[in-house]
Amino acid sequence: MTKTVFVLLISSLLFCVPAFGKTYGKGVHVTETTPVSAILANPDSYLGKTVKIEGLIIEVCSKRGCWIYVAGDQPQEKIQVKVTDGEIVFPMSATGRVGTIEGIVDEVTMSKDEMVRYQRHLAEEKGKPFDPASVEEGKRFIRLIGLGAEINE
Amino acid sequence: MKWRRWNNILHRDLGYLCFGLTIIYAISGIAVNHIADWNPNYRIERIQSTIDPGPLAGLNGDDLVASILTLIGESAEIKGSYRQDPEHLQIFVVNNNITVNLKNGTVYQEKSRTRKGLYEMNFLHINHAKKLWTYVADLYAIALGLLAITGLFVLRGKNGITGRGAWLTGIGFLIPIFFLWLYL
Repeated sequence: MTKTVFVLLISSLLFCVPAFGKTYGKGVHVTETTPVSAILANPDSYLGKTVKIEGLIIEVCSKRGCWIYVAGDQPQEKIQVKVTDGEIVFPMSATGRVGTIEGIVDEVTMSKDEMVRYQRHLAEEKGKPFDPASVEEGKRFIRLIGLGAEINE
Repeated sequence: MKWRRWNNILHRDLGYLCFGLTIIYAISGIAVNHIADWNPNYRIERIQSTIDPGPLAGLNGDDLVASILTLIGESAEIKGSYRQDPEHLQIFVVNNNITVNLKNGTVYQEKSRTRKGLYEMNFLHINHAKKLWTYVADLYAIALGLLAITGLFVLRGKNGITGRGAWLTGIGFLIPIFFLWLYL
């Protein structure tokens, strides 16, 4: 009997559904929310600054959970939040949820070739077709280096 | 010697205490170590299909989402939706992210299921839990250190730290040093 209880206890510990935390990384401490549209419209004035954004999470890195895309406040607008691998891991279940993210505004400039490689990598990861001709030129990416997040899971 | 008796008792009992977590960290360690080759947390199934976009013309909002889900036979709980651009609509339901090309009817589904057991082990190993677990993991790390140190002094004689143990401990130090020399 004792053995059965012991085995059941260990099994339940391993396979129970854990209460996943909703706070990621260092959490969110900035009080004022900056609209994504404001950052994208005038990125130079935000570069290097720590901001808080809010929005629907529309994509999560399925491999490592190391980036998400957050929809902006304007139609068809989105911003990437990149986090250090392992430091914050966003779950796949975060897609379709509203998140509050704190991070430092950052820029990445890619040449046309780099853009093609990057887009191909994303397409392969998502199992979607990719046409290199769809990339016409290099691009300046504005993103957040994520420090913390709260996701309404 | 009395200290050796206490050393062995500490080594034995810490060994018992650390067994469960060591197994979890070992399995998760291998899983996460090969993250470049596989997804240690999720089984992801990607499906491409086509629906007839005709009946969707003129629909918007919840009606559009509901019609698409009916067409692809998806009945899970809706979390939200997002219009990527005039052609593409993303629909998020539990465990499935759906992207629909409203113009040509192409549908991409990304169905994800957590790897039962492994997901939970990785959750603990990478300290996704944070909070109190951070301190539990710290205690575990200290216990592992004590296990290693007390382990050196369990045996006396030719198999102890003054004999065979010295050689093996030395090799144990040389392995990371070699790889640091090789890659750093």
